[in-house]
Amino acid sequence: MRIKTPREKRLLYFKTTLRWVLYYAVIFICFLIMVSGTWLKPILLVPAAIAVAVNNNMYASAVTGAMCGFLIDISCDKLFGYNAVLLAFFCILTTLLFELYLRPRFANYMLITAVASYIQCRLDYKFYYQIWNYANVERIFVKYTLRVWVYTVAASLLVYLAVWLINKLLMPKEHLTIEEAIRIIEK
Amino acid sequence: MRDFLKSTRFKVLLGFLAFLVGIMIYAVTKGGYSVSGASFIHSLTKPFRTASNGISMRVELALDKLTNANDYYKENQELKAQIGELNKQLADYDSMKTELQELRKFVVIKEQHEDFILSQPCGVIGYVTNDPFKSFLIDKGEDDGITPNCPVVTPEGLVGITVNVSANVSTVRTLLSPDLSIAAVCSASPADTGIIEGDILSSEDGNTRLIHVSTENKLRVGDLMVTGGTSGLFPKDYPIGTVKSIGLDTSGLSVAADIKPCVDVTRLTSVIVITDFTGKKEDGADEN
Repeated sequence: MRIKTPREKRLLYFKTTLRWVLYYAVIFICFLIMVSGTWLKPILLVPAAIAVAVNNNMYASAVTGAMCGFLIDISCDKLFGYNAVLLAFFCILTTLLFELYLRPRFANYMLITAVASYIQCRLDYKFYYQIWNYANVERIFVKYTLRVWVYTVAASLLVYLAVWLINKLLMPKEHLTIEEAIRIIEK
Repeated sequence: MRDFLKSTRFKVLLGFLAFLVGIMIYAVTKGGYSVSGASFIHSLTKPFRTASNGISMRVELALDKLTNANDYYKENQELKAQIGELNKQLADYDSMKTELQELRKFVVIKEQHEDFILSQPCGVIGYVTNDPFKSFLIDKGEDDGITPNCPVVTPEGLVGITVNVSANVSTVRTLLSPDLSIAAVCSASPADTGIIEGDILSSEDGNTRLIHVSTENKLRVGDLMVTGGTSGLFPKDYPIGTVKSIGLDTSGLSVAADIKPCVDVTRLTSVIVITDFTGKKEDGADEN
């Protein structure tokens, strides 16, 4: 790794701070959209947490996942901490998958978002409606759970674009020594 | 993967997850009150939520006008016919009013609901995201004397009950929810009693259900249902809604009815919380 000059270091700190401020600004906007109005809305914080987890380290992803989960708990009036546990787990798993097996591609992100969002919606339906044996409870699944899931997957495209743009502008690039670069080219 | 499972990183993350589970368990033990973390986030986000909800409601209203123009036209025609009918009734009402004023001279009327202790008017901050039963948040909480299980009303009728109270925000569970049961009495025939309880099918149309009514009842469509006040959770004789349709329930052993609430809980802007009233049961939490 090349030795960084103090100016480069300062720039790196600045870019990293700005990147995280923008991540949390996106998360906050997602939260505000979720709590506004009376219509059915996508759970935007799930794709937001996963988009952040794709390109960042595990600890930061876990904390961001937990934060997004707490905000979902507040906006959807669920048990405080329930979605935090769920999303922290999803984010750790996402980071691990992208570290070990997957490339940070849009298709992979969509696949993971679709699965995570479905599990989140399904568990919400299970614990908050189905388990209580309400009459005609399956209507909630069809009219609310599935629709929210579809909206979430569709809306995750916009969330991905926002996070992708932040990463493109502010994600630090790897510095290689000349020897390392030659070795990569030779391979 | 095996390396990861043996690593310190895995142990730290496991510890973090255990910490989150701990918060969740702590939240369960709070019995209707928000944990301080949630309270803090509520307080921090309250002004933003109020502002964004205001904008969103205006956008929804504008889009609603465009998409439902045909329905509104039809509704307008129906309302015109209804106005004609009501004008006729108004003439009858005026004559009855004169008669009633005469009768009032002989009747000592006690001021209605003078035992109520009411909160300040509460603004609706927003509705709970994707809740089929239209729970909503109000901008008053524990600091304003509100506790869990306080009745929430408007001048037109009962709206619901407070369930999750923070320092300055509370969640209201509406009477569309199957988790809220209210003892109800028919105002026209007080012998007809039942339980008002939300139902998934009825809630889709903004209605609730009256269940466990005796088959020998005198209920009629249009009758007003009021609170029975037997549970100590709601004051007696407060309007809930009118009977929309009557039929046997699924078991066939009792009668059930669709009730149209006096208040449209899907488009509220402000409500009032009754913090105390005569006959209130302090541990009423078990009754709902």
